[in-house]
Parts: sequence; structure tokens; C-alpha cells
Amino acid sequence: MTQKELHNARLIKEANEARMQMHTRRHFLKESAMGLGSLALGALLQSCGSGAPALPETTNLFDPAHPLSPKFPMFPAKARSVIYLHMAGAPSQLELFDYKPELMKLDGIACPPSLLEGKRFAFIRGVPKMLGPQAKFKQHGQSGAWISDRLPHLSTVADEISFLKACTTDQFNHAPAQLLIHTGSPRLGRPSIGSWATYGLGSENQNLPGFVALTSGGSFPDAGKSVWGSGFLPSVYQGVQCRSQGDPVLFINDPKGMSRDMRKASIDAINQVNQEEYKEYNDPETLSRIAQYEMAYKMQISVPEVMNINNEPQYIHEMYGTQPGRESFANNVLLARKLVENGVRFVQLFDWGWDTHGTDSSTSLDIGFINKCRSIDKSITALILDLKQRGLLEETLVVWGGEFGRTPMQENREGKENMFKGRDHHVEAFTCWMAGGGVKGGVSYGETDEIGYSSISGKVTAFDIQATILNQLGFDHEKFTYEFQGRPFRLTDVEGEVIRDILA
Amino acid sequence: MILLSLSELIGRFHPVVVHLPIGILALAGLFLLLPARGLFAGLRSSITPILFIGLISAVFSCITGYVLSGSGDYPERLIGIHQWMGIGVTVITGVILLMRIKTSEEKWQWLFGAVLLLLLLLTGHQGGSLTHGEDYLAQPLNSILGRDEPVIIKRKPLPDVQEAMAYAEVVRPVLQAKCFGCHSASKQKGKLRMDQPSLLMKGGKNGEIIVPGKSAESEMIIRILLPKNDEHHMAPKDKPQATEQETALLTWWIDNGASFDKKVKELPQPDPIKPVLLALEHEEEEEKSLPNIPLEPVEPADEQAIQALRDAGAAVLPVAAGSHYLSASFFIASDSGDLITPLLLPLKRQLAWVKMGNTKISDASLEILGQCVNLTRLNLNHSRITDEGLAYLAPLTQLQSLSLVGTPVTASGIAALKELKSLRSLYLYQTNVQQGDWQELKRLFPDVMLDSGGYKLPFLATDTQQVKAPARQND
Repeated sequence: MTQKELHNARLIKEANEARMQMHTRRHFLKESAMGLGSLALGALLQSCGSGAPALPETTNLFDPAHPLSPKFPMFPAKARSVIYLHMAGAPSQLELFDYKPELMKLDGIACPPSLLEGKRFAFIRGVPKMLGPQAKFKQHGQSGAWISDRLPHLSTVADEISFLKACTTDQFNHAPAQLLIHTGSPRLGRPSIGSWATYGLGSENQNLPGFVALTSGGSFPDAGKSVWGSGFLPSVYQGVQCRSQGDPVLFINDPKGMSRDMRKASIDAINQVNQEEYKEYNDPETLSRIAQYEMAYKMQISVPEVMNINNEPQYIHEMYGTQPGRESFANNVLLARKLVENGVRFVQLFDWGWDTHGTDSSTSLDIGFINKCRSIDKSITALILDLKQRGLLEETLVVWGGEFGRTPMQENREGKENMFKGRDHHVEAFTCWMAGGGVKGGVSYGETDEIGYSSISGKVTAFDIQATILNQLGFDHEKFTYEFQGRPFRLTDVEGEVIRDILA
Repeated sequence: MILLSLSELIGRFHPVVVHLPIGILALAGLFLLLPARGLFAGLRSSITPILFIGLISAVFSCITGYVLSGSGDYPERLIGIHQWMGIGVTVITGVILLMRIKTSEEKWQWLFGAVLLLLLLLTGHQGGSLTHGEDYLAQPLNSILGRDEPVIIKRKPLPDVQEAMAYAEVVRPVLQAKCFGCHSASKQKGKLRMDQPSLLMKGGKNGEIIVPGKSAESEMIIRILLPKNDEHHMAPKDKPQATEQETALLTWWIDNGASFDKKVKELPQPDPIKPVLLALEHEEEEEKSLPNIPLEPVEPADEQAIQALRDAGAAVLPVAAGSHYLSASFFIASDSGDLITPLLLPLKRQLAWVKMGNTKISDASLEILGQCVNLTRLNLNHSRITDEGLAYLAPLTQLQSLSLVGTPVTASGIAALKELKSLRSLYLYQTNVQQGDWQELKRLFPDVMLDSGGYKLPFLATDTQQVKAPARQND
């Protein structure tokens, strides 16, 4: 053997070894477990062949080659889509929906020690003063729902809404509380509700993502992108963040000098390489990657079309109070309607700037808070009415809420009274609401005590809200699981109960 | 106290011990049935010792069973039969044993074996019914046979609630519906029986459950209000729960003295209870929402037909796991018009939800959709259908929701749908229904939510104004 032949032989041997190393024990175990599992499942299913073919409880077996193809739920769904409007920072329930005349009488009086003993607040120290409602309340609609004059438009559709007056949480900081309400855990790493929904249902419109996240208010929610992240679910199920200003999705347009045909050719080439990669290593994530490239290519056409609100007629812009070209909550709300109309399952809106501590004018209950209310009032009302007149409200669940509530006491940061009127974070009582999607209208569920400090009946947790959303989408939250780290995980962990009293 | 719990402990061994005589005596019975000569002849000699061991275990089962029956956790009626049959098994075991010891005559012993087996089977079944409930086997059996779930008895409306007896006609029906299942003549869980006034007031093994005048101290109310996951919560998690109204009625009755002989009008009625009482004069509210697919199951659809529709760009799916009803939507195939609808025809019995919004279909497609008799939801927004086509939809008796937004239909065309019995919502935004037609449409569709759309929100000065921070003074 010549020197060269020896050299080549060694190279080939090394290459083979490298390949073997790539084919890890983990790969082997995963494949054999899958293989054996599907053999067993096949045998099981065959043996229950009594007439009708046995259907698995869910169809959510992750298909890496078509991760977003539409899938069916466990039972016939009342809601086909969800629009979740999250007011990041936590709006004050005491100025919007939870009317407490008794609290007005206590305005300015030092908070009794019984309300402070054993409690922790984010900023309140020492003895704060009670703060009466900073808005005027009236009853609205046939249901007589209490809504303040901060939301004059929403008051007109009170009879479409189910108010959850006694929401509670156990997290008094923004990021953990937001994670809890959107992912079922105050810590990072769990999939968001929208990811679960997309994992379970796929995308009905193959040209659009199943889960879209939109932000406004000048800042991301405190918990960052994790509130629409996919956690341990395959990454293809995370929310696709779209923008109402500039390109709807970053880098969606072809770069200068690149024609669409050329783009297609390059994506095909990349996918071919990925196919080879998949043949070699059998890693399902490779198939997901191929699918994502293909979807991105399709989205280049369909997303700009759906995300363009310029073509909406003038009366729609007037109704929503939208101004095309700006980044605004109202624009996002209109986009949400358009996305749902085109088959997107889950649209999540985050509007930042509701953290009304009263430390400056923008967080003051009588200045910044009023401006925030004005920025959402018309568009959320328009959303409900517009969905209704398109026959979509009965199959679209609209959810509105923050991550926690606000104290009946005026915040005294580090023991000193704040410059402006504001309230601290509060975990024991806040209001969320739902409309459409098989939820009753004109219902007020749950009650707080006479100063709005704690929930006394109809208590609702983040898990209950999640269970209810999944229920409306056709899933039993106790059976809808994903196998991870050796055990099945649920969105609601070991808790949550569907709020049946508000379901139609 | 120790003695009492000792007997309780012994009693709880019954479900364990009882399996010994079942197994042992079944073996003895089987051996007695086998022919005495030939292949099994060798087994004969083992029958006597088996019977002996079986007898001892049967006696122990009787003793533990008797002690357990005193706990009151089981329905008396069934206990009596079970007890005597258990004793019967023991006695017949003894008789056979004696016979075998006294004589070597084997001729009629197979008959005794058969009787023993039969008795054993029946007694065992009775015991199972006691622990797991009488419908333990019947329930899955019924669902296999496709029989319906038992219907829940409905409360009868009271003619005049003020004249009604507060206990007998208001409170008792609540207890009957939610408590008697485990706390009445047939079963007294926790030694509590609630179907007679004196026993209701006496309470259970933890004492009284009602403190007249003080609902907050009454165990019954406390337990109803406990979180559902609490192990002391009543009714148990998997049983029908007391509703908010029912709890309010019980609380109200206890707070006002828990009397058994007063009429409703003799008791004070604070504001919150008034609507609850008044509601008793009406039928229980019907479940308003219809299931959104037809109740009757349907045969599976042709897979090839589904695939053909998918290939044409539609998203076709079962509405849920285990259902053969289909949902079809045409988000991507929106350019295809009437060419695509014939593909629906092979699936005409399975399609329940169809979304053809923004497609270019016309009346020709409605002729096909009109044959999809199990449709419950149909969306034809912004398609090219007209009044003439709507007439084809008349056979869709299951249709609950129809959306015709942005189509040129008029009131006269819509009138053709007035026989659709299941229709609940009809969306008519941007159609050619004229202002004056709504009165007539409302008359034709009294039970249907007719949505005209065209909602407008007023311009308020505050919509665009911003509140400014007060100018800070320089100091």
C-alpha cells in the first residue's frame, strides 16, 4: 500500500467514526423507542377493531414533516380562534370594572393593620392610605354591568361580555405573573397558551402561521418573548411576532436584487441540503426546519396581504380608531380581526404601559392611566362589534386582562407617598373578561369584598382561565399533554378548573 | 373508643379476607363437579382438606362482614341479602364437609358442588355491588350496548313559592337531588341520614351538620363551600354539585332557624334570596346551547373523497376525535369557485361545518350545499350567491348558524329559510336587506338572532384627546 492509499484509508475511517459519533446513543434510543412505541400502538389499535376504527384521544402526535397541518381537537370546539388582549403592567380593576363605593368613604384614611399583617407588596412599605375609586361608575346594558366612565365605548357592549371579577394570582412581580398567566408557570421554560393551541390544532390556513403575537405601547411585556414562546414544545409552535409598522415580519421582503424565483431556488437548494441531512441523521427537527422554510416562502405573499390595513374601508378605520402606518394597539386589534378572519388560531396582543404606580404623570391614575384607557377603548369595542357583524364572534373567544390587580391603597413607595395617585401591584383581586367563543354575554362572575381587597366568591386563577380557553378550543386541559423529560406536561400543571358558569 | 375503632379495623378486613373463601371454595366446588373416576380421580382426596380450609376462611369472612355491616356505610337492603347468603355459603360448606367425613358415598355430591358455586357467585356479586355500587357492571355494559345515560329528574316548578313549605318544597328537593344519593335510607355514608327531619338535625358521626340560625357554623354549608379539591368537600368531586342558587337556599333556610313547619312567606326574605325563590316558580332553565354538531352519529366518510377535497386546497378535518362529522374551510382555495363544490358531494352526510367565505361560489354550489343535510354552521361571506340559491338551503334542518355577509341576498330570498327549525343566528351585514325589511324578517324568524351589522361607534372628544400632566412649578 502506498503512502497515499494509507492516508486515504485513514481519512475514510475517521469520517466513518465521526459519523458514528454523530449518531449518538440518544438518537439510537429515541429511534428505537419511537419504533417500538409505534409498533405497539399499531398492534393496540388493530386489536380494538370492533367496527369503528379506534381513534386516539388526541391527534397531537407531533408530525415533524407537517408540524402545522390542521389537526382536530378532543371534542367539538365552541371557539375556532382566540384573541387574547393582554394589558401588560396590570390595569387597575378599581378604576374600570370593580365598583367599590365603600372604598370611596375610606379615601385618605390610613390602611387598617389587619389588611397589612402578613402581606407583602411590591413597593408599599409601612402604613399606606386607602385610595377611593378614581373614576365614576355606572351600570350598563340589560345585565347592569358596572363599568367606569374610563371606557365609554366598551360600556355599550357590556351585554356581550362575561366579567371575571375575582381573578387571583400568587405572583406580584410583572414578569413572573405574566409568565404564569400565559404559560402556567411563573418560571421560564413552559410553552405559552398559543403554542399549546397551535400544537393541538395546527394552522387552518397553510399560508399563515397558527399563532401570531403583536405588541404595542412602546415596549415588550416584562417577561419578554417567553410569553409567546414554545417552551419545550417544538419551536415551530412559538408565536410569530408581527409588526403593525414597517414590514409585518422582519426580513420578509426579498433583499434588493433578489427576485422571487431566485428566492425560491435558494430555498429549494437549502431544503435539499436539509433533506440530505435528514436522511443521514434522522433528526425530526430537520424536517421542522424544512417545513419552516417552506412556510416562510408562502408567508412572503400571504402575510403582507393580511397584515395590510390600508385597504380597509374608511368606516372600519373610524370604528377602530386606526391610523395605518403607526404602531398602535388599535392597529393591532384590527390586524387581529383580519388574521382570525383568515384562519389564524391564536392572536395575542400585548399592550405595554398599564403599570399605574403614580410615580410620575404617565403612571398616574388621573393622567397616564386615562390616556391608556382612551387608547384601547374604541378598538376593543369595535373588535367585538366587527367580529359579531361578520358572524365570527360566536366562534372567536376574546380575552382581556392584565397579570394581576392593583391595591385599594395608594402606593407609598418606600414609605413616602407618591407624587401622583397610583396603586401598587395586588394579587388577591383583579378583573379579566371574556366575550364570544361560546361564552355567555352579560355575566358578572365572582365578587370581591366591599373595598375590593380580596376575592370572596367565584375565585378564578390563571389556571382556570387557561382551562377555560382550552375547553372552548375543544381540549380537556387535564388530558392535553406533551411528553417531556420523562413525564407528560400540561398547560395547567396539576390545577385549573373550567369556569362553567360563564359558558353558554 | 378504642374498642369501637378496633371493631372498625376488623370490619375493614372483610374485603381482603372475603377473597379467600371465594377462591378456595370455588376450587372445592369445581373438584366436586369433576368426574370421580378417570383422569381427575386423584383430586378427590384433596376435596376434604380444601373444604376445611375454606370453611375456616368463610367463618372469618362472616365475622368481619358482620362487623363491617355495622358501619352504616352500605345500603341496608343489600346488606341483609348479602349477609344471609354469606352465612348460607358457610353452612353449605359445613354440610358438604360433614357428609364427606361421615360417608364415602360420592354419588350426589356434584349437586352440592353446583349449589355451592352458584351461591358463591351470587354472594360475591352482591358484595361487589355493595362496595362499587349497583351500577358498577351495568354502566359500562350500557355504554357498550349504546343505551342512554340515566336522565336526571327535573325539579317541578312551584305554583306559588310564597305559599310553599320552606323545608318540604324548597329545601328538601335540593337535598334530594344532591345529598340523598349517599345519605338516606339506602346508604348512610359517615353515618349521616338526611331524608328525615329528626335524622337530618341529628347529624352524622362527626356530630350535627346544621346549627339553626348560623349557616356559617353549620357543617353542611361549610363543606359545600370548601374548595372542590378538598377531601371534605361535599358533594364529592365526581358527583353533581350544589349550584350557587341551591347553596343560597340552604343557607337562607338555616339562617332563619331551619324550621320544618314554616311556609316561605313566614320567613324573612332579604333581597339576594328573592330572585332565587322566585325562580322556583319556573321550569329549570333549559340548556340553551345546542351541541354544535348533529346528535345522531354518522358513518365514516370516504377517505378518498376527503383527500380529493384536501388536494383542492381545503382544510378538511373531523370536528373532534371520535367523530365522523367533518369541518371544511377554504381559506387557501378561495379562488376556486363552483368547480370545487362537487367535491363536497361524496361527503354530504359528514360535513357539519363549512366555511366558504371569500370564495367565488355561486348559486350552483348552493344546490350541492343544500344536500349536505347535517350542516350546522355555514359561512358564505362575500361569495356570489343570490336569493335564488338560498332556496336550495331549505332542507338544512340542522343548520344553526348561517353567515351571508357581503352577498347580494334580499329579504325575500332569506324568507325561504324560515322553515329551518334549528337556525339560531343569521348574519346579514352588507346584504341587500332594506331598512324596512327588518320588521318582517323578525316576524319570520322569531327565535333567530338576526344581525344587521353596520355598527358605528360615536366620535367622542376623549377618543383622541390626551390628558396632560399639570405644568410643574419651578422651585
